[in-house]
Amino acid sequence: MTKPNRVSSGKGKTYGEIKARASEGNAMVMTAMEFKKFVKANGVKKAAKEVDIVTTGTFGAMCSSGAYFNLGHSDPPIKIQRAWMDGVPAYAGIAAVDLYLGATELDESNNMMHGGAHVIEDLVRGRAVRLKATARSTDCYPLKEIDTYVSLKTMNQAVMMNVRNCYQNYGAASNSSGKTLYTYMGKLLPELGNATYSSAGELSPLLNDPYYRTIGIGTRIFLGGGEGFVAWEGTQFNPGVARTPRGVPKRPAGSLAVIGDLNQMSSDFVKGLTFTRYGTSLGVGMGVPIPILDEDMASACAVTDDKIFTAIFDYSQQRRSRPVLKEVSYAELNSGEVSIKGKRVPTSPLSSQYKAMEITKILKKRILDGSFAVTEPVQRLPLDKSLKTLDVRSEKEAMK
Amino acid sequence: MKTKLVLNFNPESSNLPITHHLIAEHGLLVNILRAEIDEVGGKMVIEVSGKADSIRKGIDYLKDASVGVRPIKEGVRRDDEACTHCGACISICPTNALSLDPKTRKVLFTEEKCVACGVCIDACPPRAMEILI
Ligand code: SF4
Ligand code: SF4
Repeated sequence: MTKPNRVSSGKGKTYGEIKARASEGNAMVMTAMEFKKFVKANGVKKAAKEVDIVTTGTFGAMCSSGAYFNLGHSDPPIKIQRAWMDGVPAYAGIAAVDLYLGATELDESNNMMHGGAHVIEDLVRGRAVRLKATARSTDCYPLKEIDTYVSLKTMNQAVMMNVRNCYQNYGAASNSSGKTLYTYMGKLLPELGNATYSSAGELSPLLNDPYYRTIGIGTRIFLGGGEGFVAWEGTQFNPGVARTPRGVPKRPAGSLAVIGDLNQMSSDFVKGLTFTRYGTSLGVGMGVPIPILDEDMASACAVTDDKIFTAIFDYSQQRRSRPVLKEVSYAELNSGEVSIKGKRVPTSPLSSQYKAMEITKILKKRILDGSFAVTEPVQRLPLDKSLKTLDVRSEKEAMK
Repeated sequence: MKTKLVLNFNPESSNLPITHHLIAEHGLLVNILRAEIDEVGGKMVIEVSGKADSIRKGIDYLKDASVGVRPIKEGVRRDDEACTHCGACISICPTNALSLDPKTRKVLFTEEKCVACGVCIDACPPRAMEILI
């Protein structure tokens, strides 16, 4: 694999040059919105030459999020087997006092309204959370149960670790059935009453770097208000989907597994969310700086919503592959209305474009004031993965 | 004075020209915010403006015509700190009381347009919308 810092044409910049300019405070940094305007007015060539870094961002419901904690040891010690944080079960099968709390894990007593996502937001807000835990007593860990309070102040580590965030594009949703559907894509009114979509489009990190040239393992990112890192490809990473001539995926493609310290985060960018009759999810704000290494990168980051496409799927079909109602651009979705089967259907974004823009601005400011350093990925994300499915199969079939 | 009313119609009252009557006989301005009426009755949300006395007389007329009348005192409130401006509510609000500002991409809540139908309450992921009636 070619190293991402080698630029073949003489016209490009190296990571070293961009980093040096940034540390001297001389880098030309633009938000994604500013950069697209700049390219429109001045062209890709000039943009590639003059702009060093473009900041991208997204804020939306990101399931597959969660956090792990080290609680410290009790006296006498306990090897926790089952644990609840404010009534939400946390996974304890890692060690004695390490827990993982998933965002979509639900409070056992509360009708799908309160879950791990809310507990994580409460911790980020500095609140104390009730911890109950039980265990089998052992010779080295005699304690059988504990009932106490914990907060970020009392824990050794509190780390957000999300296995699939920041989807590169996502399908839009509508509902052709006769009844309202409550889904993770929001409330879908009957008879194509509305359509919802969840990508930040032209602001979204991976849509500005469609082949993952600069976003890879080790990339430093804005995560939940603090600093985080790309840890791995996100689960369900699926780069082989259909793409536009400029390489922008037309379906959900890449995603990122990310990690960051909860102590640095802010409830402005970490929000517990409830999707009625679906359950909970975590609203996560994420931002990624993209170094403009050369004209290819400049042209990738110049992409606008009219050049990014997705499909509206019919959620009335309760199947793995739902029928496509229509292919649309994000410019159409953002106009507030699309036409499906001759009907004018109002649209809802779901991902906050306002917060996405805020993130691009904050990230720009942090790079300019030297508090956020742009990195070169340690390793590129794979381009040859495809998506597998879960089917009922025999032991033999599973090993084929 | 301005007030919002929820009107409930039975099959008999659903054919009455009530808005015409309120305008012509009581000198009120009537703005229909929402209407779902067919042969078997239905519901309508209106905003009437005029003199307090005329509004009272208008309400008496409606009651005489066996139309159910319920004033909306306080409708729906948004907790601006909780709102993430995600936009989940804008495509389901029947009156466009919730709309996206094309420049800032903030979701604006125009209380005057809200008919307190409640549709947005359980559609708001951070539960920022609260109904007060
Ligand atoms: S209650 Fe909500 S959905 Fe209904 S009119 Fe008011 S803002 Fe719109
Ligand atoms: S659904 Fe709730 S959080 Fe989202 S924009 Fe509407 S009021 Fe704000």
